[in-house]
Amino acid sequence: MSTQQQEPETDAEPEPESQETPTDQEMSGLSSPQQKRLQRKHEGAAERERAAAEDDLEGDTVHLKVFRFDPEVEGKQEPRFDDFHVPFERGMTVLDAVIYARDEFDSSLTFRHSCRQAICGSDAFFVNGRQRLGCKTQISELDQPVRVEPLPHQEVVKDLVVDMDHFYDQMHSVEPYFQQEDLPDGELEEQRQTRENREKVKMSTRCIWCGACMSSCNIAAGDNDYLGPAAINKAYRFAMDEREDEEIKEHRLRIVEQEHGVWRCQTQFSCTEVCPKDIPLTEHIQELKREAVKKNLKFW
Amino acid sequence: MSQSYNRGLIEDFGRWKEFSAGMWAWIFHKFTGWMLIGYLFTHIAVLSSAIAAADGQTMMVAGESVDAYTGTIQGLEGLFIVRVLEVGLLAVAVFHILNGLRLLMVDLGIGLEAQDKSFYASLILTGVITVASVPTFLTGVGL
Amino acid sequence: MAERYSSFTPGGTGWLLQRITAAFLVVVLAFHFFQLHFISHAAEVTFAGTQARMSEVGYFLTMVLFLVTAAFHGINGVYNALVNQGLDGIQKKVVLAVLTIAGLALIAQGTYVAVVMAGWA
Repeated sequence: MSTQQQEPETDAEPEPESQETPTDQEMSGLSSPQQKRLQRKHEGAAERERAAAEDDLEGDTVHLKVFRFDPEVEGKQEPRFDDFHVPFERGMTVLDAVIYARDEFDSSLTFRHSCRQAICGSDAFFVNGRQRLGCKTQISELDQPVRVEPLPHQEVVKDLVVDMDHFYDQMHSVEPYFQQEDLPDGELEEQRQTRENREKVKMSTRCIWCGACMSSCNIAAGDNDYLGPAAINKAYRFAMDEREDEEIKEHRLRIVEQEHGVWRCQTQFSCTEVCPKDIPLTEHIQELKREAVKKNLKFW
Repeated sequence: MSQSYNRGLIEDFGRWKEFSAGMWAWIFHKFTGWMLIGYLFTHIAVLSSAIAAADGQTMMVAGESVDAYTGTIQGLEGLFIVRVLEVGLLAVAVFHILNGLRLLMVDLGIGLEAQDKSFYASLILTGVITVASVPTFLTGVGL
Repeated sequence: MAERYSSFTPGGTGWLLQRITAAFLVVVLAFHFFQLHFISHAAEVTFAGTQARMSEVGYFLTMVLFLVTAAFHGINGVYNALVNQGLDGIQKKVVLAVLTIAGLALIAQGTYVAVVMAGWA
């Protein structure tokens, strides 16, 4: 389709020219989901424009209080808060603000960031007393001064950088990869998943390994062996995937039903509340508890 | 050489103002749980006076000779502070029951999105039941 | 992480029992409070009244089961709270042993008291 030349005089489609023309019936027609989304987007943009015109933050500065600690420099080994006054721009996120502070005021200010669009999961900070993704948190939604601290319950390496090793260890301990020995016949055959099953695991696949949930979890803070919400969610993502064999699901359940697995969850909902990708973590942990109990009752 | 900095417990309980509903529910549930198991031990200890009573031991209450069991319980119940503590015990038990029902629902995966509202509801209901029971619990005792 | 291949489920059975006892206790604890504060008042409890209640087999069995489930639920709850705080190793084993002994002693003493109250001892 994309190789065909479009005829400009007959094509009245409002879609941007870089888009492929939709081919299947669902996508064409005036009320396609794509067009609805675009319309909503335009309306939203106009709304933001109006709101911004009234925004009294415009032209103002943002007062940041940033946690500082550097074990390698004498005089910085005692943690403290540095104040930065960053000029506010419309749409500014916490990450934008600390980037500005680093680029313009203090190049030694250290933090992780990469994609700036809530995909890489590098920039989870403790902002105004809550675990948030820096690039997904609008300054305009926060009270000032904005306190930016490294994630709690992890050791601070420098400034806003925490040691993530333990988090990654827990993630790997649930074997976060697809395991299926029997492949479908035919050289080009794929391992297909039903739409329903895809829907079931959809939210759990959104994890970006930012560690906000683990940091918010009171139990993970006390019991260092606890797998934590992210790892259990990862186990859920594969245990619920019907393309894996029953034995592999049982093996996965055995991993999460160890003493420091799902049973430690006290349903405080802290992880669910801080998750920047809106994964219903508590719900997934609870479902795995019930699955594990069911499996053992069947065994008896 | 790099070393890291451990900020200790300040993040857990130094930030109680930022706790959300589920966290408060957990703290209250745990606190009331400790109270209840503690009470169970004292409860059995007090009721053990029945062993002495069955042996025929008596004691003096308000100039009358009664058996050890009746005397112990009525002696305790005659104290205003015991009555107040009983109202406290009722509040603790009612909260633990109501929040326990909430937790059973959460375990069954029912109404997870309303978990904060059900926590507030169990708090309010606990308050109402406790206040409504005060007259019953304080009858016939003076300061 | 060698233990994760073991065939029994540490925690799973306890978790389920904690929920089952909870469901039972909700009903019986509410009944117990109602019985001894609203129907007959705690301040008016006498040995004779207690003996009359306890010598009914149904009431006796309910109360003993109440004691056993409450002791399990409470002791298991305390143990779990401590494990959640990161209790580990020998300390954990000692705490479990102490709590188990305390719970069994509580059940033994409570059952004996109930038997005495029923007049069967």
